[in-house]
Amino acid sequence: MIRYIVITLLLLPAASAVQQLLPVIGPLHGARLLIVPLVFLCCAVTVDLPVMLLLAFCAGFLWDAQAVVLPPMESAMASVSLPESLPFGASMPLFALSGALMQGVQPLFRRGNWRISALLTGVVLLVHLAMEFAVLSFLRGGFHLPRATFLQMTSSAGITMLLSPLCFVLLFRIAAACDHPLHPAAGRRRTRVN
Amino acid sequence: MKPLNLLALLLFIGGVVWALTRSERSVRAIQQAYLSVMSPFIRSGAGTDSAARLFLRETRHSRELETELAFLRPELGRLGFYEQRCRELEQENAQLREALDFKKNSKFEVIAARVTRRYPSPHSQTVEIDAGTRRGVRPQMPVLSSEGLVGRIESVAPDGEHASVLLLSDEKCQVPAWVQGSSEEGILTGQRGFSGDPMLRLRFLTTQAAVRPGQRVYTSGRGGVFPADVSLGEIQSVEKGALDSEALVRPSVNFPDLGAVFVVLSAAQSPK
Repeated sequence: MIRYIVITLLLLPAASAVQQLLPVIGPLHGARLLIVPLVFLCCAVTVDLPVMLLLAFCAGFLWDAQAVVLPPMESAMASVSLPESLPFGASMPLFALSGALMQGVQPLFRRGNWRISALLTGVVLLVHLAMEFAVLSFLRGGFHLPRATFLQMTSSAGITMLLSPLCFVLLFRIAAACDHPLHPAAGRRRTRVN
Repeated sequence: MKPLNLLALLLFIGGVVWALTRSERSVRAIQQAYLSVMSPFIRSGAGTDSAARLFLRETRHSRELETELAFLRPELGRLGFYEQRCRELEQENAQLREALDFKKNSKFEVIAARVTRRYPSPHSQTVEIDAGTRRGVRPQMPVLSSEGLVGRIESVAPDGEHASVLLLSDEKCQVPAWVQGSSEEGILTGQRGFSGDPMLRLRFLTTQAAVRPGQRVYTSGRGGVFPADVSLGEIQSVEKGALDSEALVRPSVNFPDLGAVFVVLSAAQSPK
């Protein structure tokens, strides 16, 4: 189990690296494949709460290190006001909330029904993006959701969800290699039948 | 809640508070470390991104080109039609200018006419012209072009506006002719079923006819139908027979491109 946790932790920086390689999909309302949130959400359903919180901390750390916009250092540019972005660390609780939502279907997942989790990935990802947008709107003052932003969020969540089965397959392989059963309930049921 | 979960939650909250309370300098240092590790991926990602943008732009561009092509294709057809029409008008203009010159310089009293229709029969070489009895056209009148003899009026239409011309290339059209540079005379006729570039036949030459390829053939004016000394063609080959000789003559007139013609209303007859 320790090996599995370590590997899932290492998957997050790997996902962050892959994230840099993926282009924006212009024709799909500028959608992006959100690999870091995807890996986190898929991992979150396979682990217990303490590990999920650890993963949320790491994923939030990486996400904010990439996304936080700081004001320029030069004094000449000091007067330039940038739009408020999420403060460093603000993504961590959002990831934790998304992970908690994913853990809501963990009993089904443990029974071997990972397809529900795969579908839920898209929904939770959309909720995650909506929460991020809501916090940003709160910080900037005034809530206004343009149609283009909504379409971008839904498209991003949709196309990322399509990759979730692949992510689960990868996690099953890793779990098998680490001798860590991801479906203990299913295994117990089989044993009882025998 | 399990004590382990509670402990993990407390630790997580502590971690979040730690992260949120980082100074700008610390965050900048974290970001710099992150970017230095990720810089090769970011560079590659920028390349992928620009390649994807280029691909999309090319796709969009090709779609635009396709639309433009679909729009321009009928336009091209239309312009092609206009160009063709312009060429036809240009050709017609040149013919009419030539005709005007011919009419001015002609020693005959002629009227100009245009070929309006060609009869498609393979057995008769006739065309219709837009001049009839109203303009003084009568059967048997010779028809010329600036190149030479075209034929004769075969019939006139009852409406008085049109007439049918029997071309020199028809075998029924027989023209007394003489060969330039010799005393040879014969009858020039067309050939039956000769399609495309017609050839004429000069018959009844003497067996000792001193004619050779390249010599020109003119009307002799005998019979009173055709005026004398109108160009008919050029000898291509000579066939000597037992009783007489024949020559194959390439006509002066380009029959397939016949446009403007002249009907000779009256001519000073001077048989050769």
